[in-house]
Amino acid sequence: MKDRSTARPRVALFVTCMVDSLYPGVGIAAAQLLERHGVDVIFPTRQTCCGQPAYNAGYRKDARAMARHFIDVFWPLVDDGSIDAIVAPSGSCVAMVKLQYPILFELSDEEYRRRAVQLGEVTYELTQYLVDFLGVCDTGARFSGRVAYHPSCHLLRELKIDAQPRRLLAALRDAEIVELPGADECCGFGGLFALKNADISTAMGRRKARNLKASKADIVAMNDVSCMTHLNGILEREGYSCRAVHIAELLNERSAGDAG
Amino acid sequence: MIDDPLEARDQILARLRRALSGARSVFRDRSGPSTPPATPTAVTRADGDRRSLAKAFGTKLAEVSGSYEFLEDAAEASERLVQLARAWSADDDGDTEADDAPAIEVLSWAPLALPIENLGPRLKESGISLFVPEDLHDESTRARAARATVGLTGAEAAFAGTGSIVVASGRGKSRAASLLPLRHIVLVPMSRIHPTLEAWLSNLRREQALGSFLRVSGQIVFITGPSKSADIELDLTLGVHGPRLVHALIFDDTW
Amino acid sequence: MPVDAAAPYRTRVRQALADDGLRAALDRATEHLSGRRAKAMAEIDARRLRDEAGAVRRYAIEHLPDLLEQLESNLIANGCQVHWARDASEALGVVLEIARAHHIGDVVKSKSMTTEEIGLNDALERSGIDVVETDLGEFIVQLAGEPPSHIIAPVIHKRVEDIAEIFRRRLDTPHTTDPAELCAAARRELRNEFLNADLGVSGCNFAIAETGTICVVTNEGNGRMVTSLPRVYIAIAGIEKVVRSAEDAVLLWQAASRNATGQAVSVYFSLTSGPRRRGDSDGPEEMHVILLDNGRSRILERGYGDAALCIRCGACINICPVYREIGGHAYGRTPYSGPIGAVLTPLLDYDIHAARDLPFASSLCGACRDVCPVKIDLPRLLLDLRSVVVERKVSTLGERATLRAYATAMRQPAPYRVLVRLAGWLGPLTGLLPPLRTWRRSRSLPRFARKRFGALWHERARGDDESTAG
Repeated sequence: MKDRSTARPRVALFVTCMVDSLYPGVGIAAAQLLERHGVDVIFPTRQTCCGQPAYNAGYRKDARAMARHFIDVFWPLVDDGSIDAIVAPSGSCVAMVKLQYPILFELSDEEYRRRAVQLGEVTYELTQYLVDFLGVCDTGARFSGRVAYHPSCHLLRELKIDAQPRRLLAALRDAEIVELPGADECCGFGGLFALKNADISTAMGRRKARNLKASKADIVAMNDVSCMTHLNGILEREGYSCRAVHIAELLNERSAGDAG
Repeated sequence: MIDDPLEARDQILARLRRALSGARSVFRDRSGPSTPPATPTAVTRADGDRRSLAKAFGTKLAEVSGSYEFLEDAAEASERLVQLARAWSADDDGDTEADDAPAIEVLSWAPLALPIENLGPRLKESGISLFVPEDLHDESTRARAARATVGLTGAEAAFAGTGSIVVASGRGKSRAASLLPLRHIVLVPMSRIHPTLEAWLSNLRREQALGSFLRVSGQIVFITGPSKSADIELDLTLGVHGPRLVHALIFDDTW
Repeated sequence: MPVDAAAPYRTRVRQALADDGLRAALDRATEHLSGRRAKAMAEIDARRLRDEAGAVRRYAIEHLPDLLEQLESNLIANGCQVHWARDASEALGVVLEIARAHHIGDVVKSKSMTTEEIGLNDALERSGIDVVETDLGEFIVQLAGEPPSHIIAPVIHKRVEDIAEIFRRRLDTPHTTDPAELCAAARRELRNEFLNADLGVSGCNFAIAETGTICVVTNEGNGRMVTSLPRVYIAIAGIEKVVRSAEDAVLLWQAASRNATGQAVSVYFSLTSGPRRRGDSDGPEEMHVILLDNGRSRILERGYGDAALCIRCGACINICPVYREIGGHAYGRTPYSGPIGAVLTPLLDYDIHAARDLPFASSLCGACRDVCPVKIDLPRLLLDLRSVVVERKVSTLGERATLRAYATAMRQPAPYRVLVRLAGWLGPLTGLLPPLRTWRRSRSLPRFARKRFGALWHERARGDDESTAG
């Protein structure tokens, strides 16, 4: 077991499949944020997907297979102490690992269940890690305009993370944080729900879009690219000017004059 | 039609027992709290002496669209009862000639069941008669009871925490008196006001009287204000089926 | 056009989403009720209430058989007749037998989802017996010939204009949109029914084992009328309704009242232990209690006992963002809608095939779990039911094939990278794939990145190496 007590924190970045394939910039921003605050970031290259889509759709066996792969990639690093934490720019993926993995292996595999628990104990969402573990209150970012915040459901209700992202947003220079009516109402993505019940999903998203319009926000920040994709899909299609952004990119946004 | 009534019973109980004694829990979420307290914590609270509790009771009752008055003693309460019955009768008949108006009939509990002594004769003097039905399954009794516009009862107890009273059916204590008429007057002696219904239950429990209280009576009802419905577009309407007006005459009987 | 609860799921949802009147009514009602609930819970120690209510219900389920036996023996000692029914048809058989024995012609009943579940009204009507729903909302839907759309507010989906028209058409009431006048008309009409009915039927909110007592919660008083005026009274109680003691019942009553409508307590809470006692002037001469299984023991057998904890407050329904968009009839011909309905309907004697869509009619947002007064983890139950649908091969072949392929590719680094690179290369053409075509009907699609994060990271690392080396 390596002794990491006095070293800089070392974090494995769990980038998530959607960020990897659709929004790599979010991953870069997350890594930069961590590095700027004194963290050594490593990226286990064999990572793929946590398995949430399969789990969400009811395909337990497949979800378990995907979870096993995730555990095979990340657990050894936790077990031998070469990393202090796993950090992901996503509430739903972290909730999957921390809360659902133990349930997935509850009946079928004690060894993997144990590993899942061990892993889950050190898996964190990005803003949670920045605020609670690194003590960051201000990332030095700037945004000129009105910013709303949409708490994604897994983040808010399963991980109970809410104060941390809001705190970091409050420190944004030049930004005006606006209240979002119905902020804690689900945006309608819901994983497979977005396709299986596309019409209801869209109706829920449209409701969120109307609320965004009422808030007069220029952008709405959130911690999950799933909500972001769904909301931007509707905001663009329906001609709204507001856009959804991932909080990592927003918090990493520095103007040319700011120190690097 | 079930051929063997016991078969259904035995099968249901057997299935339940098998399910509950199996290796696997019947619950998916086993993190839930499992041992309930022997006595759950009271949900509402009310403090203070008799008078404070009486005030709290009245306030809560008014909050749910009931109404109340404080009277010094039983005598004042029966005076007030007469006034109210007369005023309402005048409202109903549009008749302001009090002297030769027909006797006002109030659907009532038997005088012995009411917390004011000699109420029957007192009221009779003022032209108010108490109709205490014998058998409401008798058609003419039922029709007569249905015509009453005022009902009069006492209460086993009243609760300051919620503005509720509790009535128990029994000899001379018809269910109908607090249910059929548009207006329900309830006589509430201050000695019967408790902080909360949990406190009252716990007293009964301590006296080992809770079980028998519930079982001796065919039906006990907790009543909190007038009947209401918000089914039509959430618009609150009073007096849908039960009384539209519940008026408590709270009097000090602790002299 | 109103939602046809008997139509297939997709049709029901389509009808609901197209019905602006319905959605406006749902919006208004759910927001109002949720707001009232929040206020009522904020003024007390909500955490303690939920912990205790949850524990009280868990205890009851864990001790169900013993409590049921205790309940039965006390009900009998109190002078009631107790019947057990394994399913709807047995329960209906008991009711019809009692009706026949007493030559019942007219029945009044108070609101009871359990009686909806077994189709009581239809069965009675088919036997030539008149049934009148006496809860105002139920009375209205009965006049309209529709099922209720919410377990607490049956007519939540109708505007007052619709109700006025129903009253005009069915009761000859002069047209009025004043709720007070409509209520007065209903009161008059139903008062006659109460006074003349031969049989009263109620459901049961809680059944107290210790004393043999059936508890009914109402605000209108119809529960009291139904259980007091007719000569014969039948209470139909799901076996899961039993609780240990009067104290437990009183706790749950308050939990249900605050969470259903935001009232500290409902106007009436009637506790009926037996028929009329000697010397009583009113009360039924005969009281029957039917203890109904109808899938409840199966719920425990399958390990979904959490669903049996429900005290039918409707808080989950009022907070559900999906229910808000589609309403109760979209959940089908079931009295249970919203999150609890999406769990109970497939589990009770309803067919998993018929109900296969319901566990998926949720975005799993978890708002329901946060409001449930007995702390049922509804999202977890929904997720588990989804895996049942898949295991039983009820989901479509196409979906299974797609998801399996996806899962297989996605869990191994090499095929995963190939897939992601392919998507990046296809760019906007990915929008032609069927699942993404569905997406694009109403939403624009983001572009798959030309270079995935993994590749960028690799370059970045190489760049660092070169710059430190150079």
